[in-house]
Amino acid sequence: MATGEWRTQILIFFAIWTVVGVLLGIALKAQFRLQTAELPSTRLPELARAYVQEKRTVQALETEIRQLRQKTTELENALATGTEQARVLNDSLQAAKMLAGLMEVEGPGIELILRDSQRRPPPGSAESLLVDLYIIHDYDLLRVVNELRQAGAEAIAINGQRLVATSAIRCVGPVIYVNDIKMASPFTIHAIGDPNTLLGALKTPGGVLTDIMEADPKMVEMRALETVRVPAYTGSTQFRFAKPVPSEEVAK
Amino acid sequence: MIAVGILGLLLGLLLAYLLLDIPIPGEWAPYLSLAALAGLDTIFGGWRAALEGRFHSDVFVSGFIVNALLASLLAYLGDRMGVDLFLAAVVTLGGRMFLNLSIIRRYYLNQWSLRRTRG
Repeated sequence: MATGEWRTQILIFFAIWTVVGVLLGIALKAQFRLQTAELPSTRLPELARAYVQEKRTVQALETEIRQLRQKTTELENALATGTEQARVLNDSLQAAKMLAGLMEVEGPGIELILRDSQRRPPPGSAESLLVDLYIIHDYDLLRVVNELRQAGAEAIAINGQRLVATSAIRCVGPVIYVNDIKMASPFTIHAIGDPNTLLGALKTPGGVLTDIMEADPKMVEMRALETVRVPAYTGSTQFRFAKPVPSEEVAK
Repeated sequence: MIAVGILGLLLGLLLAYLLLDIPIPGEWAPYLSLAALAGLDTIFGGWRAALEGRFHSDVFVSGFIVNALLASLLAYLGDRMGVDLFLAAVVTLGGRMFLNLSIIRRYYLNQWSLRRTRG
């Protein structure tokens, strides 16, 4: 074997070892990162199973939260039957809970359904550049919610998610998160308030729904309802950062 | 030969850990691991071939690339079809690695005993 050939072979051997080393390194690092993320496995079918399992757990826990909060209200009411003082305290407590969206409420209101358009503009046409017009976005929901609040809506829920003071509506990829719950079209919005005022606000020419209606009237569906049920908020009510200011300081 | 290999491996690991901060999406990680496994298999195969005096660099390099791609592709296909096809790659590559390693081990044992009887 000639020396030159031998040297090339060693060089190639070295190069391949290096490449394998890089591959191994990256693979190990990725695996390590996945394990620190506490995923049960890196294989897709198992991940899918775990995901479904977690989703079920979340649903069960949400039901539990709802039941427990209802139980709390009942217990508070039971406690308040004693003295006048307790009754007054309980009344203001229930009022605060209602304002915070922690109670299921019902009353006259509206139902508004927003869905992505079935229409697909022919590819290559000028319309196809405006494909955003045919999809319901997070900002559409935000503007609708804002409009409803302005028109005096007292309780609003999107697909069963009660909107409270800390609620966020945000687009993440193809879905929209409301209260950190993923949802996609169609969006059913329930609002309690004066039905005529609410519908009027939504139908205002040049208002929040004008662009959507112009793109495709089928994307919007709304009607007044005699009784609308809006569920209670089931998310976290823990404050991690905010603390009440002591009352002496408020007086100053 | 061994020294060259270990040096290269260390260099590669260092490169991956320190310099190349490539964020690998989580769902790619298993395929990458398989590619690394295929790489290891090629290396042991090449080592054995070198000991037997029939090492060809073109076979070596193409074997590395094709094996790594095939193993990852097989795993991907398996995931799509719901069959754990990656096991096939793991078993084949793993089995061959043990086979090659045993041949390499025997070669060095032979040499050692030859040297002892001579000396």
